[in-house]
Amino acid sequence: MLKEFGKGLGTILRALFFEKKVTIQYPEQTRPVAPRYRGRHVLHRYDNGLEKCIGCSLCAAACPSDAIFVEASENTDEKRFSPGERYASTYEINMLRCIYCGFCEDACPTEAITLEHQYELSFTDRRDAIYTKERLIEAAPQGMSATPQVTEPGKFTRSVPEMRDPQD
Amino acid sequence: MAKLINLTINGTPVTVPAGTLVVDAAKKIGIDIPVFCYHPKMEPVGMCRQCLVEIGRPMVDRATGQPVLNEDGSPKLQFMPKLETACTNPVSEGMAVFTETAKAKSGQKEILELLLTSHPLDCPVCDKGGECPLQNLTMEHAADESRFIFDEKHRAEKHVPLGDLIFLDRERCIQCARCIRFQDIIAGEPVLGFYQRGRNTDIVTYGEPGFDSIFSGNTSDICPVGALTTADFRFGARPWELKQAASVCSQCPVGCNVTFNVRREAKAGGGYVIKRVMPRQNEQVNEIWMCDKGRFAGYQYTEAESRLMATPAGLDAAVGQAVAKLVESQSETVFLASGRLANEDLFTLKQLAAALHAKTYLYTQHGGGEFTTAYGLTSGADLGALGKGDTVLVAASDLYNEAPLWHLRLKAAAQRGATLIVAAARATKLDEFASFVVRYAYGDEVATIQALPAKDKIGEAIKNANNLMIFYGSDGLGLAGTTALAQSCAELFSISPVSQLTGSPVSQSASFPVEQLTGKPEDRTTEQPEDRTTEQPENRTTRKSNTGLIGVWSTPNQQGALEMGFRPAENLAAELAGKTVYVIAADPAGDDPALAEALKAAKTVIAQDILTTKTVKLADVVLPAAAFTEREGTYTNGERRVQRFYPAVPTRPGTKADFALLAEVAKGCGIALEGRSPLLVMNRLSTAEPAFSGVSYETLSQPAEQWPLIGRSDLYYGGTSYENKLGLGVTLALQPKADRQSSTVSGLRPKENEFLAVPVTKLYDLGATVAPAKLLSAHIERSAVAALHPVTVEKLGLGAGDQLSVEINGAQFTFRAALDASISTGVVLIPRSMGLAISAPALVKLHAAEKA
Amino acid sequence: MPHILLRHRDIPDIKNIEVYKQNGGFESLKKAVTTLQPKQVVEEVKASGLRGRGGAGFPTGVKWSFLPDNLWPHYVVCNADESEPGTFKDREIMTYNPYQFLEGVAIACYAVGATEGYIYLRGEFYPIAEQLDACLAEMEKQGYLGDKLFGTETSIRLKTHLGAGAYICGEETALLESIEGKRGQPRLRPPFPAVVGLYGKPTVINNVETLTNLPYIIEHGAAGFRQNGTEKSPGVKIFSLSGNVANPGNYELPLGTTFRELIFTHGGGIPNGRKLRAIMPAGASSSIIRVDDAVFDKVMDTPMDYENVQSVGSMLGSASVILIDDTHTMDWVINKTIHFFKHESCGKCTPCRDGNYWMLHLTERIHAGQASAQDVKLLDSVAAQVYGKCLCALGDFSTMAVRTAIERFPEDFEKVKA
Repeated sequence: MLKEFGKGLGTILRALFFEKKVTIQYPEQTRPVAPRYRGRHVLHRYDNGLEKCIGCSLCAAACPSDAIFVEASENTDEKRFSPGERYASTYEINMLRCIYCGFCEDACPTEAITLEHQYELSFTDRRDAIYTKERLIEAAPQGMSATPQVTEPGKFTRSVPEMRDPQD
Repeated sequence: MAKLINLTINGTPVTVPAGTLVVDAAKKIGIDIPVFCYHPKMEPVGMCRQCLVEIGRPMVDRATGQPVLNEDGSPKLQFMPKLETACTNPVSEGMAVFTETAKAKSGQKEILELLLTSHPLDCPVCDKGGECPLQNLTMEHAADESRFIFDEKHRAEKHVPLGDLIFLDRERCIQCARCIRFQDIIAGEPVLGFYQRGRNTDIVTYGEPGFDSIFSGNTSDICPVGALTTADFRFGARPWELKQAASVCSQCPVGCNVTFNVRREAKAGGGYVIKRVMPRQNEQVNEIWMCDKGRFAGYQYTEAESRLMATPAGLDAAVGQAVAKLVESQSETVFLASGRLANEDLFTLKQLAAALHAKTYLYTQHGGGEFTTAYGLTSGADLGALGKGDTVLVAASDLYNEAPLWHLRLKAAAQRGATLIVAAARATKLDEFASFVVRYAYGDEVATIQALPAKDKIGEAIKNANNLMIFYGSDGLGLAGTTALAQSCAELFSISPVSQLTGSPVSQSASFPVEQLTGKPEDRTTEQPEDRTTEQPENRTTRKSNTGLIGVWSTPNQQGALEMGFRPAENLAAELAGKTVYVIAADPAGDDPALAEALKAAKTVIAQDILTTKTVKLADVVLPAAAFTEREGTYTNGERRVQRFYPAVPTRPGTKADFALLAEVAKGCGIALEGRSPLLVMNRLSTAEPAFSGVSYETLSQPAEQWPLIGRSDLYYGGTSYENKLGLGVTLALQPKADRQSSTVSGLRPKENEFLAVPVTKLYDLGATVAPAKLLSAHIERSAVAALHPVTVEKLGLGAGDQLSVEINGAQFTFRAALDASISTGVVLIPRSMGLAISAPALVKLHAAEKA
Repeated sequence: MPHILLRHRDIPDIKNIEVYKQNGGFESLKKAVTTLQPKQVVEEVKASGLRGRGGAGFPTGVKWSFLPDNLWPHYVVCNADESEPGTFKDREIMTYNPYQFLEGVAIACYAVGATEGYIYLRGEFYPIAEQLDACLAEMEKQGYLGDKLFGTETSIRLKTHLGAGAYICGEETALLESIEGKRGQPRLRPPFPAVVGLYGKPTVINNVETLTNLPYIIEHGAAGFRQNGTEKSPGVKIFSLSGNVANPGNYELPLGTTFRELIFTHGGGIPNGRKLRAIMPAGASSSIIRVDDAVFDKVMDTPMDYENVQSVGSMLGSASVILIDDTHTMDWVINKTIHFFKHESCGKCTPCRDGNYWMLHLTERIHAGQASAQDVKLLDSVAAQVYGKCLCALGDFSTMAVRTAIERFPEDFEKVKA
């Protein structure tokens, strides 16, 4: 009996001193996620600060849980949000409905929306679960102004970038 | 009846009338041949080459004239070496068409590829995306990779406003010329054209201001790509997000069938809002078209800032107050209602007034309605069937401005060979298409109409017409004038054989057969005596369904009100004094200062409306009503066709449909009326009103197959107009003839320094149902002109566009002066609903306005 | 042999009406109007076997007989929109021998019962139009045009009409549209102009050279006309010779003359001792004939008439013979022709509008040596894609040189990017 006891204790001691620990002190410590992990959505910008999202609503069409809502408006050179004529004046994702399937990424013609690595989503009010465009969009790159921008006429006439052989 | 031709398409036999095009014949048996430039409403041009098919024709031995047979005895087919276009080839006997062979398919595919090579990849941002023929065909047929170099693609301007309502994307345009041909051929306003040639071919507008047409919106519907977009819907929503609500346009008496596209919007707090108005097919009313007023002002007024909201005390309190007033006044009440109300509302009102023994008046300046109920159109009427041998008279009406779709359809009728007579005091757009134009001086309307039969050719055309259709309007006329005009128009039927439309000549109006009141319209056909040859030498045995008198009203349902016996008051102001006045869907105070005074002199004013009008402002009790977009109901159009509209958006809180409000008021007064559903009201209405017998929501909502087939998955065929799935409407039975009156209109004679001011209707005005349409404000502004003869303008020391001051009954008003050489020098045309109250011809003083 | 059409080469001042009259001018018109019935004129022209010189080679008399007798008025339109690259024969006729041409137009009018005839000239021909207007005025003054011609009830009036310089307006229905003041784009056929033509009325449309033959036919009769040429292609033809040739120019020769005679006897051969490499016998619209040692004699001995040119894989067309020597490659040639067709495509129908746009991009890249082997295949496939799908013949013509160049001169399309 003592033999078994000693064997068991040995296992514990081995684990305690020789094996790598798997428990981490969340939330002080966080575990890195896989590169293609599907966390909360982010709306991206071009390097010049313009929004990639053109308000085409294809993400909403692709969404199997009807979590995305888009309303579009027209850009002008004086008040430009995105290249081309159309931009999303309202962009909302209901994170309670979202199933993080990533179809929105696939549907996006401008690679404006991606599911990133943020997974800490908890709400005390159901309304807080509706992420508006302001909460979804990334900050303008260093030195670039956020939208709307005043742009040179005739420079940003096309909505869909010329993507040759898009990767991934 | 055209000869019938037998042919096979992909082996399926089909029999169609001679002259049918292969593409249409295929369509009839459900075979879709892709097209871009072809449109079933227009002549083929064979430009896009998308409809390439193989066509075999039976081989004929030249020597013997006998068909050459195969060994098995079947006729040997002869094929052209090249593919042929299905849209330009009419069918011929024994033809065999193959649309699915490898050769045909590759031909179609190759054309599609070429179209796509110069088309941008805009689908995600394009308003047409989702209902785009090119997109659909690409998904179906095209290769998924381009063989060409992207950088060598044709680039063009993407944002070209053709006018303020239509935007062109030159890169998306596939040069099918549908828009150009629509404007040239159907609208008759050739303001678009091609510029440059080859790959540089562009659409340009020759209009000044740009795209100066009142039918411009239709070009966007028939555009097979997203090259033409409408200002109201640009980036508004994706087509697949939209829901459809069938409705009827409320802007004029034509009653165009429309579809409201709605969706929920964050901007509207998550509620449903109307995003756009699209035509809905009804070949007997508006075909697949609609005018820009209906499209861009169709519903905007129901969302106006001046929309009446629930009073703080609540709707019930307001109803309670109204009840208290009515209980007190009883028969000392005057109800005043306009043709903006639905049939159900008017019927409920009629019952309420009858129970109270109160008077009801129709609020309109357009009289003569009693003739339209007796001489109007009956079942089977269709402006689209007018043609050779038929005569149409348009009297004192500028249809282009008053009822654009009738203008369009009469233009088409004239081009099909109908004799179009336009009698007007000024030049109208319809003159161009008329066989005869009769010009008279304002004031001579009745005499002119009475003199028509005596004229050689015109008299002939009226007397010998297969069908005689008369439109009468109110151009330059008030209530008395229009009534007299209606009577003189109705009298024309007595000189034409077509007067037998009701089985009895006009002169025997007393002997109106009873069965005509109750029987179904079709029954009368069989009762039509065929041996009328004793009276009429011509052998006319068919019933004259396309014969009748049509009033060009200013409201969508004046005809319905007339059918229920509502009539205007000859002296309305006098009728109101000291009474409790219940005004529904009308703004007498806003229209005429005299009526405002009369309302102030009334004991109590109860106003029921959807907008905050001047009348509402001076009312003691206000009842906010639901707009037609928020409820069900029916309108009777000028052709006496009852048409049903359906709710598109939810009723605003604190408002109710007019009939429901009236029923609640009635309930308070101890009168039990139906207020639950308009369907139930219609059931009662059809029993109580002989004209409406046989009309029910069920019959109203019966669709029928119409040609061309449109609005299905093959959007390339007919455009994005909607198929009619919710009813074509029912035409009313005729009523007994009105007693003939002998009214005389005293002509006004201007004294020195005076001018005869006459009211005319403009398409775009400041009326409560038009002005809230922000997109049209520039068009309204352009219409706000008083027209004078050039000589007069010069005499006044003015030029076109200068400010002209009009002094009427001591009141001053300023218009921009416009030139109209077709009127006499002593006349000034004052637009209705443009700020200056003018209900009938009046004498005015004119002078140049002082420069600000 | 004296010239029949280019008579000014024998009689220098024939553009003077008096000189023309002294040399038998207007006798044919007078003969036709005063002694022949219109039907007889048609029959005579039919019997002569005169074929349209505009390119299609359709028998002229047969074309005239298509006009329905129950629809009036009839119109005669002369197609003087000579726009085919390499063609310059009508211009010489109209400049130097205008009265014979105008007499021919008048005879055509008489034959089909037209009282009005239009001469549609390309926009660049305004000096010629001016000169023709003066000639018409002179003829009217002297009683050869106008009412009561030669004392009969016949009246004929001719008008010139200048186009705006579009190649497509040489296509007969586009030409009619242009006269009517519309955009010069081809119409749908059927209905053919013989039934629904100018202003919706029956119309005959003939080339300048065709009509210039008429006075000769009336004067000498069908048999006289048939003295020249072959059985199926009778008469003389003006060959516009250009390109790499010693003596370019117009040569009036009987139909059926061989290439050898035209090029070496009259044209003086290929200059600088170069070798003839290719022939385009119908201007830019031609299929290109390859001339190498193997087929040199066969090609050179081919008679140039409407039938035999087909045997060497091309068409006679308007007989604008362009010679290409061995200093040029076919990728350069088709780049030129496609540049022309892309510029002249009217834009009405898709294959021609977009096909030529892409063909130009491809030929430019191929010519610049920037293309891959795939691009040559693509060019051939686009040309095939355009061929046979267009509304009018221009689309098909634009592909002829391209397809034959790639097929017959593969070595010219090998200098491609690795």
